[in-house]
Amino acid sequence: MKLFTYQRAKSLDDAISAGGTFLAGGTSLIDLMKIEVLNYDRLVDLAKLDDLRKIEADAKGLKLGALATNTAVAQHGDVKQRWPGISQALLSGASPQLRNVATVAGNLLQRTRCAYYRDLATKCNKRNPGQGCDAMEGWTRMHAILGTSDKCIAAHPSDFCVALAALDAVVHVKGPKGERELPFGDLHLLPGDHPEREFALQPDELITHVFVPASAAAAKSRYVKARDRQSYAFALASCAAGVEVAGGSIRSARIALGGVGTKPWRVPEAEQSLVGAQPSKETFRKAAEIALRGAQPRGDNAFKAELAKRCVVRALLTSAEAA
Amino acid sequence: MPGNLDFVLASGGNRISPRLPCVVALCASFPEGGGGEALRAELRGLGADLVVLTPKGGVWLSPDSDPKPLLAASSFWEEQGARGAERGGAPLTVLVYDENANVRMRKDADAPVPVEPTLLAAVREARLRSRGGMGRRDLLAGTLVAAVGFVLAQACAGLKTHDEPTPPAAGPNLQDITLTVNGEKRKLRIESRVSLLDALREQLQLTGTKKGCDMGQCGACTVLIDGTRVNSCLQLAVAHEGHQITTIEGLAKGDKLHPMQQAFIDCDGFQCGYCTPGQILSAVGLLHEGRPADDEAIREGMSGNICRCGAYPNIVAAIAQVRG
Repeated sequence: MKLFTYQRAKSLDDAISAGGTFLAGGTSLIDLMKIEVLNYDRLVDLAKLDDLRKIEADAKGLKLGALATNTAVAQHGDVKQRWPGISQALLSGASPQLRNVATVAGNLLQRTRCAYYRDLATKCNKRNPGQGCDAMEGWTRMHAILGTSDKCIAAHPSDFCVALAALDAVVHVKGPKGERELPFGDLHLLPGDHPEREFALQPDELITHVFVPASAAAAKSRYVKARDRQSYAFALASCAAGVEVAGGSIRSARIALGGVGTKPWRVPEAEQSLVGAQPSKETFRKAAEIALRGAQPRGDNAFKAELAKRCVVRALLTSAEAA
Repeated sequence: MPGNLDFVLASGGNRISPRLPCVVALCASFPEGGGGEALRAELRGLGADLVVLTPKGGVWLSPDSDPKPLLAASSFWEEQGARGAERGGAPLTVLVYDENANVRMRKDADAPVPVEPTLLAAVREARLRSRGGMGRRDLLAGTLVAAVGFVLAQACAGLKTHDEPTPPAAGPNLQDITLTVNGEKRKLRIESRVSLLDALREQLQLTGTKKGCDMGQCGACTVLIDGTRVNSCLQLAVAHEGHQITTIEGLAKGDKLHPMQQAFIDCDGFQCGYCTPGQILSAVGLLHEGRPADDEAIREGMSGNICRCGAYPNIVAAIAQVRG
């Protein structure tokens, strides 16, 4: 790890004006700084900003402070009851030790686990813009099949973000120019020609909290994840889904995919296809087909499209069956 | 070439060999009777032997028995090419032998007279460094080399000996911090990039916390911070002033093991033991987080700790025993 200066932010404004890189749980940042994939010369530790640890729920929705830990969110009574898909997604990710320190905002801003991105001996457009990408002709089992470009096929690694994408979350940020909010789908950028640009955030902008509206679909949300190990592994494919059923037909649906997209992958067309239909395995399979339309598998990940479809069907079925 | 480590007892003429690894000190003089109780106590704690030879005789200090006077061993001095002060050599020559009786370190020093305090400081240092390392002889040999060399270097320079290594000079990248580890406040001067794991192991000599993958995947470095289990390899030490840090060294109350430590012994919850401190701290953290309903919940809750030997069934049994 390269040398850096370390300081503790005393307040939110202090953090924003410090001109450094924000440190929260550190499970992703310190890891990548150790292997010198990321190199920053000033870290601003947010640990003292206790206001950012709050988790609050009311009739309108759920407010998750940027520094609330994965464990705290996953175990929160309101989250488990009214946004179960969020709790399930969090508990399916990482290990207990990591979840105990990893934070809401840190999860949103974590980097890809693409093995080529992490290996300084290989070419990577995300790490070294314009250098090329060794993943293209490499081992692609863990790579994306949706939202890819000819510059980058790195998958977004988060489970939590998949649930947030499905449930219409809104990201609140504060920066030198004041506060603003972004729909969750706007936070992560597609790789396109510039995979090194990953977030729609300006320098010194800090995520303060994430808001997730309450809804009938959210209360029935479920997260289904397929992976190489039973626990503590990144998704090969996953799905967060929520279905609101009234009078025997689907009133609204939410579907987002993980493990297959270059960003958390919401599919509004698939959701729309379900409105008014009767919940059944066949209906859900059709929605799954729509969700994976345009998938571009590459080498080792050809199996992912079918695996993702089955995750969609399973997630929708369990949501629809939830009493 | 392994050295000949046979010495002759002054009483009765029997030959003895010290247990390996060991330290042999050749010095101008040493108290008759075989060293103070403090030195013997330290050796007992370390589990290593010390042989002190003077031109007129010697003493074998072994933790398991009373000091035994030795006959003068002039051939040993010659073999090692050591000359006493009276013959124009260094007043003190220290040799550290490893488990194969190979000399791992030799130090010729102008030690203060009497020499005993210098040796005592060296053995204390070795004991600090090898805490938790008993029985792993190679580690012990390395520890002895490092510690004896360090203390003798200080003795040569006429420095006052410290319990802990002298920290590097302050600079722009170094911070003075105080960590609370196992209830004790410990002062450190460290770079901000030092992980909590490295600070514990390399600076505070708390080597019970293990470095496995050093990237948050294996769980060997698990410690408790304010009662919560975390991977110490992904934490910056400077970020943890004011927190209560608990390592494996801090779980037992005196000689009484923590119930989880006892359960791992009862259930044979390890083979090589390298992942064990992390497994035990993680298990303590797991039960602190709530009661796992069944074995399946224990397995899932322990997914962040990898055991390369595959002792998982016994680890689960140990945790189930404590959970009750």
